[in-house]
Amino acid sequence: MPELTFKNLSKSFGSHVVIDAFNATIEDGEFLVLLGPSGCGKSTLLRMIAGLSEITSGELLFDGDRANDWHPRQRGVAFVFQSYALYPHMTVRANIAFPLVMDAFKKWYHLPIVNAVARRRLMKSPDIAARTENIARQLELDSLLDRRPASLSGGQRQRVALARALVRNPSLYLLDEPLSNLDAKLRTQMRSEISALHHKVGKTFVYVTHDQVEAMTMATRIIVMNKGEVQQIDTPEGIYNNPANTFVARFVGAPPMNLVPVTRKGRRLATSNAQAWNHDGELPDGERLIFGVRPEKLQFLARGQGRMPAQVAVVERLGAETVIGCRLVSDEHGGTTNLVENDLVFVRISGNPRTKINEQCSLDYRAEDVVWFDAHTQTRIPVRAAAPALV
Amino acid sequence: MTSTIALSIFRYVLIAALVAFAGFPIYWMASTALSANSELYSTGQVPWPQLQKLPELISAMAGVPIGRWLFNTFLIACGTTVLSLLLGSLAGYALSRFRFRGRGLVGFLLFMTQVVPEALILVPLYAMFITLGLLNNLMGLVLANVGFSLPVAAFILKSAMDSIPYEIEESAIIDNCPRFGILSMIVLPLIMPSVAAAAVIAFFAGWNEFLFASTFLMDRSLWPTSVGLASFIGQYETPLSAVMGAALLFSVPAIVFFLLIQRQIVAGLTAGAVKG
Repeated sequence: MPELTFKNLSKSFGSHVVIDAFNATIEDGEFLVLLGPSGCGKSTLLRMIAGLSEITSGELLFDGDRANDWHPRQRGVAFVFQSYALYPHMTVRANIAFPLVMDAFKKWYHLPIVNAVARRRLMKSPDIAARTENIARQLELDSLLDRRPASLSGGQRQRVALARALVRNPSLYLLDEPLSNLDAKLRTQMRSEISALHHKVGKTFVYVTHDQVEAMTMATRIIVMNKGEVQQIDTPEGIYNNPANTFVARFVGAPPMNLVPVTRKGRRLATSNAQAWNHDGELPDGERLIFGVRPEKLQFLARGQGRMPAQVAVVERLGAETVIGCRLVSDEHGGTTNLVENDLVFVRISGNPRTKINEQCSLDYRAEDVVWFDAHTQTRIPVRAAAPALV
Repeated sequence: MTSTIALSIFRYVLIAALVAFAGFPIYWMASTALSANSELYSTGQVPWPQLQKLPELISAMAGVPIGRWLFNTFLIACGTTVLSLLLGSLAGYALSRFRFRGRGLVGFLLFMTQVVPEALILVPLYAMFITLGLLNNLMGLVLANVGFSLPVAAFILKSAMDSIPYEIEESAIIDNCPRFGILSMIVLPLIMPSVAAAAVIAFFAGWNEFLFASTFLMDRSLWPTSVGLASFIGQYETPLSAVMGAALLFSVPAIVFFLLIQRQIVAGLTAGAVKG
């Protein structure tokens, strides 16, 4: 199984740089997720790994060997496309067996008539037939083997695409947003199936998605990308708890991390308007900071009980939990409220409280739950000896 | 309910009228073939086939090598079809999938071949065929016809190939399928209706060949049926019933070919009309 190394890998289309100096290592057997918004270059990166897109500059190493110019078949990878890319004119059986048939194909089999006969005979050969049926059984496709892709549901097509990738037993699996065409329920189901599959085969998976839930639930490591640049490489927990910059903080988490620009005066933090409160923990150096805290780490309290006065603007009841969007306000002048920030500050609380819109409330936090960012560079400022995030 | 029945009857009557209209030339051909020549040159032609004239027709055609001519026509048509599809699919694939300098120009030049009338290139082609030893040779005729039907086939196939998602081909590349295999095993089966449409065009271009054949083929045994039929026209007399009899035989294989392939063509004409 290969270890993949990227050394200053870049990809440009004309003067448009899609990926700029990408450096990373994908270790053997890990489930690595490339996460980022549409157009950030994650699919292009996957295609470069597969050999479907040329590398403009830099090096791609497979176990230390330069693979920039290797043909896709030399790389021994399996690729699951977003659209599944099944062969519509072939049955499920022929689709799954196709990579095996191609591996056994000789050049002269391409002659007309010989081609059809050779393919039929190879399909029926004991080894190929057994492997095809075995993989179909594993993915519960055995009853669909003689049907064509057009007569299958989205989930079934997705499983056929996975079966076709699995049947060759490759060392590296590349998956390009394979769940994006499925409905929410099926996506959840397939998510766990793919995770289980990774555990079972123990091979390296590189999975592209813009869905942070998929990334957080499946990955052993995540690479967050934006505009062709790596934002952070870390475990899902590391990405969530210690985002490297405000982009990662906003991109990962639903609702995202609350980011409030503040000015530090001693131990006092002031927002852009009149609101200010005393911070009780360690503070980073610098005057202009961004105060970040996850919604579930904020405490939603009655008016006057917390350090940050607020007003309820949105209440989203999700059943087991409620997400409350608040606006920070100042109430220093005899109870009159002035809006401090336009952005909502979200609080996630369990249960279903009787909170009403426009209700006055207050928010509070624990000092250790705060993540600090430099207001100028937008990068995280470590306060204590936290594990440094790779950028 | 009554209006539905009336509509249904109207529909059937209309279809029957259209079928009769389309089929009338074939019927008239059969009717003329089974008529006496004397009737055909007067106003007294019987409008239905007279089966008792069949022995006369057979004896009139006995000296005509119609079988040989049909075979030659078949060779020319099949040769044109096979070569046009083979080269057209390669050209169409290259034009559809590869980005190369001059791609637009190649497409334009292919299109320009359709603007040049056959008669215009007859003399230069004759001179070329003398040099190449292709005069009085069926292969030469196939090549001349391919020159005209290949660009059409290439364009039809290119347009169809453009509609195939590139991901399917990439998937085949990952599955270790070589480029030629992608064309033969993935792309062509997916555009079968368009292949059939191109085949029909190439086949009928070869089947109806007359101008090149009458110019390049001197040997009577090499003539296709079209030239053979034209040779019936005499200075003083044309045996119309024999001409129509031969024409009927000439039409039958073409009709059979079209019937065999028509389902594919209809699918090809409507392909892409709805989201699949």
